[in-house]
Amino acid sequence: MSYFRVNEKCNGCLSCVENCPASALSYTDLDDRRTLRHNMTQCARCGQCWRVCPQEAIEFQHLLVGLWDDVLTLDMVRCRVCGEPLYSTLYQQKMVSEVNTISEPLCPRHRQRQAASKWPLSRPGKTSSKLGDK
Amino acid sequence: MIVGDLKPLAEIISAIEEYKQILVLGCGSCVTICLSGGEKEAEKLSRELSQIRHYGGPPPKFEVGSILRQCEEDLVLEYQTIPAGTDAILSLACGAGVQTLADAHDPLPVIPALNTTFLGASAKAGNWAEMCRGCGDCVLTFTGGICPVARCAKSLFNGPCGGSQNGSCEVGLDTPCAWAMIFYRLKRQNKLHLLEEIRALKDWRPGGAAGPRKRVRVGLGEGPN
Repeated sequence: MSYFRVNEKCNGCLSCVENCPASALSYTDLDDRRTLRHNMTQCARCGQCWRVCPQEAIEFQHLLVGLWDDVLTLDMVRCRVCGEPLYSTLYQQKMVSEVNTISEPLCPRHRQRQAASKWPLSRPGKTSSKLGDK
Repeated sequence: MIVGDLKPLAEIISAIEEYKQILVLGCGSCVTICLSGGEKEAEKLSRELSQIRHYGGPPPKFEVGSILRQCEEDLVLEYQTIPAGTDAILSLACGAGVQTLADAHDPLPVIPALNTTFLGASAKAGNWAEMCRGCGDCVLTFTGGICPVARCAKSLFNGPCGGSQNGSCEVGLDTPCAWAMIFYRLKRQNKLHLLEEIRALKDWRPGGAAGPRKRVRVGLGEGPN
């Protein structure tokens, strides 16, 4: 999807190509067809094309507020209690290889609860479960 | 790039408290990159300024926006919508952006949220240092690519002052002496002879001493205005 878009008023005059200071616009003439081309990595979004276009054909707003590109999709590890997404499986594998131990997949809230359940005062048989009670 | 720093909150509040509806406008270029005036910072500042504890009465209402560059009048007029009822803009751009907005939307008050600090560069994450003062008559050819105007505390042109000590400037040990850097770099380049050449006095007129500077690129647009 191109962020550089022109409307139906573009007549292929190439003013934008001639005046682009970043060499981000180009064109090909092939088989009686002219194709206007744009390279986003070279584009400085300076707006010169929009300014010089005699046809007012350049819709610069698409270079100001663009859409998001999906870059990568990975499998996720979720909290085993509530299902909250935690991290990717690849990240988990990296952690395991770094620390040489498998951490139970828990969100911060349930990790805290699990730790609290192991606290001696909260064990069954104790008279009080309130932390800090003497 | 142009580097800016957020003004003290108290100063911003005293400048905006008389208004009722304010557009907090970030700028998407230099000050976004130096993490002081982009969309994120505009959102953060708006949240802070919305706190009622900062005001004697009800706080102003805030809306947040951001545009790629505030320093181009045609761009802001065409693509930056000013919400109805806005009685002031709080701009997170550099001084050029603030003034461009003020011209574009005259007589709407445009208030700076940043102090524009310097033209600088980033050698490592989170650090920016002044590199250029836009003097209009660059001498980097003769100084090993190290600017004595911007990087010497006294902007000296003929070598270090007596305050240069072991490569540091007398203003602080963490400030390197620009002329020590120049000397040692030229030495590494086998170009110390550049320091022995007699040069004409620097012309400061291109640096702003002859009034505000303009640049006209012939062949683009309608020419000088």
